[in-house]
Amino acid sequence: MRKFNITVNGTTYEVDVEEIGGVSTAAPAYQAPVAAPAAAAAPAPEARKAAPAATPAGASTIDAPMPGTIVSVKVNVGDTVKSGDLVAVLEAMKMENEIFSNVDGKVVAVNAAAGASVNTGDAIVSIG
Amino acid sequence: MGTVDKLNDLQLRRAAVEAGGGEAKIKKQHDAGKKTARERIAALLDAGSFVEVDAFVEHRSNEFNMAETKAPGEGVVTGYGTVDGRLVFVYSQDFTVIGGSLGEMHAKKICKVMDMAVKMGAPIIGMNDSGGARIQEGIAALSGFGEIFKRNTLASGVVPQISAIMGPCAGGAVYSPAITDFVFMVEKTSQMFITGPAVIKSVTGEDVTSEELGGAAAHAEKSGVAHFTAKDEEECIEKIKKLISYLPSNNLEDVPFEMPQDPINRLSEKLTTIVPDEPNKAYDVKEVIAEVVDGGSFMEIQSGFAKNIVIGLARMNGSTVGIVANQPNVMAGALNVDASDKAARFVRFCDSFNIPIVTFTDVPGYLPGVHEEHGGIIRHGAKLLYAYSEATVPMINVILRKAYGGAYIAMSSKHLGADAVFAWPTAEIAVMGPEGAANIIFKNEIAESSDPITTRSEKIQEYRDKFANPFEAAKLGFVDDVIEPDSTRPRIIAALEMLASKRETRMSKKHGNIPV
Repeated sequence: MRKFNITVNGTTYEVDVEEIGGVSTAAPAYQAPVAAPAAAAAPAPEARKAAPAATPAGASTIDAPMPGTIVSVKVNVGDTVKSGDLVAVLEAMKMENEIFSNVDGKVVAVNAAAGASVNTGDAIVSIG
Repeated sequence: MGTVDKLNDLQLRRAAVEAGGGEAKIKKQHDAGKKTARERIAALLDAGSFVEVDAFVEHRSNEFNMAETKAPGEGVVTGYGTVDGRLVFVYSQDFTVIGGSLGEMHAKKICKVMDMAVKMGAPIIGMNDSGGARIQEGIAALSGFGEIFKRNTLASGVVPQISAIMGPCAGGAVYSPAITDFVFMVEKTSQMFITGPAVIKSVTGEDVTSEELGGAAAHAEKSGVAHFTAKDEEECIEKIKKLISYLPSNNLEDVPFEMPQDPINRLSEKLTTIVPDEPNKAYDVKEVIAEVVDGGSFMEIQSGFAKNIVIGLARMNGSTVGIVANQPNVMAGALNVDASDKAARFVRFCDSFNIPIVTFTDVPGYLPGVHEEHGGIIRHGAKLLYAYSEATVPMINVILRKAYGGAYIAMSSKHLGADAVFAWPTAEIAVMGPEGAANIIFKNEIAESSDPITTRSEKIQEYRDKFANPFEAAKLGFVDDVIEPDSTRPRIIAALEMLASKRETRMSKKHGNIPV
């Protein structure tokens, strides 16, 4: 389930969109007739990705090893983590993949929230 | 000069060579947490077994101030001896003698023991600790490197070649270890790079320390150059000895045998429940390996690099086997560029040295993504297919769970030449996972349904029931048998015994053209 905010004539609607096809190429066919919401929806993930704090200078990031969806982030800003601690669960390749920290330190930013789509190399949390 | 005087002269000369760069430099070496070249050899070889070769070699350069520069032993100690009673050849660069720099005669000493190793069919172990090419000798030093690289290449697949990096190893010097079969690095005291931090800073402006750039951690986790790391030199040498215990001395010899303590018919209840019921949950394949092989015999290789595939050496019924296993715990066990490279090179190593390959398959596929595609997953993934197809050693595959699509073929499938393919009842051997397959096959039914979500999950279940099992593959003979997980060890051992006399010949050719 993915959430989008769609603004029509100044009123914002929160819309839940469930993807029923795992194959992404099928999606445009369904969306084509409703052009307006599709166009509005497009920038939403970008906006959401940008919203969490950017990585502060000097912090190291725990990155997504492959493209997928964040199921949950197990740490909060201010938590102390050790190398080898679980920091997030990433769903990819139909599997829940546990993402571990590879450094000791304090969480200074959570870069990807639960539900976010991430690509290889995208930061999930920053540790300073 | 009478005989007594000549004997004294000999002793003095030998003592001078054995003293290396002298006390002050040896102390400096020790203070840096490093052993001397001779101490390293003494730690590696059986006590009293070392026989030195070429102790009296000297350089013949007179450029710059080289005519006056004394280099006892030419900065490298070479010879042979035994490890656990087995012959090995060694060279150990001496950093206390003009920085262990490699000149013409230094290289000649190394080449001589390499040639001997190949003739005698024994492993060669190089311990590297050198500032690089001896610049005063100019192109003669480069020629030395070239001669070594050529020999490394010709010896590849004939005798096992092991490199230990125990100090700096920069520039051209890195390529000899890179060609060898295994690279060991010592944490904090060893670095490998083509160009050092200073050059990088001046060319690209990047700031990096030499440890960050080319230390043991960087090469064990990021580049994959190092196969093993150790916290100090003692541990490094112990690991080298342990590795040698698994390896035959050359390509014509059978693998070593060590009387097993572990019963061959041992069943493992733990394996019955190790694969989670939920298909999206992971588990640690190393637990499977540990349960199946002779107790405690698994020695993982490249454990920090491309962790989505696990490789290593182990013993089964006392004889060495190579293990290749997808790791569902990391990146779902998907094959990516690095994992394909890592496994392909290991499969070829095993095939070179008559080491049977046991594969454990749980692979959801090749990893999708622009990053992977543009990184050349087609080219790199092809290496794994090539390596398994080319191999003629006994090959056994156990499919634990997922075996989908191209990755199913790549992971030691029957089609590429596996001799025995077993599947656990939890195996799902199919073109793709049920979710993806249902979306394609039942696209219209799902789209036209009044309740697409329910229809979709029904269709996924329908597909899962039909194809997500080992029996469709077994029907076609692509799986030789579906086995109880607890009996995996006895079944593999029985298959290895059956395969001991395997002979497979290939068409004569110079060599294939693996998509490197």
